[in-house]
Amino acid sequence: MPFASALRVLIVDDQLTSRLLIRGGLQELGITDIEMAADGEQAFKIMTAKVPHLVISDFNMPKMDGIAFLRAIRNYEPTKKSAFILMTGRGDKELIERAKQHGANNVLAKPFTVPVLKAQIEGVVGRLK
Amino acid sequence: MTRDNVEAEVGPFVAARERRVHIIQGEYYVSDDPHVVLTTLLGSCVAACLRDPIAGIGGMNHFLLPGQDVPLAGGEAGSQGREAERYGVHLMELLVNGLLRSGARRERLEAKLFGGARTMEGLSDIGGLNAGFAERFLRNEGIRMIGGSLRGDQGRRIQFWPVSGRARQVFLSPAQIPPPRPSPAPKPSGGAVEFF
Repeated sequence: MPFASALRVLIVDDQLTSRLLIRGGLQELGITDIEMAADGEQAFKIMTAKVPHLVISDFNMPKMDGIAFLRAIRNYEPTKKSAFILMTGRGDKELIERAKQHGANNVLAKPFTVPVLKAQIEGVVGRLK
Repeated sequence: MTRDNVEAEVGPFVAARERRVHIIQGEYYVSDDPHVVLTTLLGSCVAACLRDPIAGIGGMNHFLLPGQDVPLAGGEAGSQGREAERYGVHLMELLVNGLLRSGARRERLEAKLFGGARTMEGLSDIGGLNAGFAERFLRNEGIRMIGGSLRGDQGRRIQFWPVSGRARQVFLSPAQIPPPRPSPAPKPSGGAVEFF
């Protein structure tokens, strides 16, 4: 059972407002080790310096979308084991299937509540305490 | 004079071909068609009209945040306020992403905000909260606000031409103000778990 306070999480979203809201939700869950990036390229640089346990990434981003970012993570040995939750406002089956094929651990449809965020995270890393 | 010349010079020909698209609460619409005019009726709700002037693409949404506990200054809010913000951010994101998918560039986006009236005395200022949220969203995302009309105590009828960016506002009498629909809370199934 992981301690929320020990979990290192990276949020990737091109909208600052979204990043701040997700960070607020994580903090409500007791998660404090949080980094944020505005796109896949920036996130990948952060990840290679300090590998997070969990990545929560938006799908719809410029430069590198969430799936391309996921592929980059999975194809690089130091980062390939990080858990990955893809956020999407679309939630269509084709996208979910692609996410699954490329190694996403879960999908989170926007908008979501903190209890749903908690359930999604626990579905990947186990119950938080 | 050819018909094309006539149409270029005489406004009514163009106006006659206008296609009106009415946006209701919770909806958004993006278009690059110069004949489209987006319309909406606002009381305490807010409509964001966004446009990329270079790409000639624009769009409008229409939202009312659920709940009343929305932080105005980007500070700490209760959890209800944050849920409301998530919903608002989602609706703004749908519009922004719709524009980007159609060829707009984020750094070129400019905005006009309308609505957010305090239409009922004695109740909390939901319109002001909606307006504050929309302004803060634009500020956070670096989207320039180039016009619009927020707050006050009158409802508004808005027309927005997404390609030219022209907007027209008519104030409504109290009887014409659309009643706010029940607060659209985030869909319970919105974040449905998809365990792999």
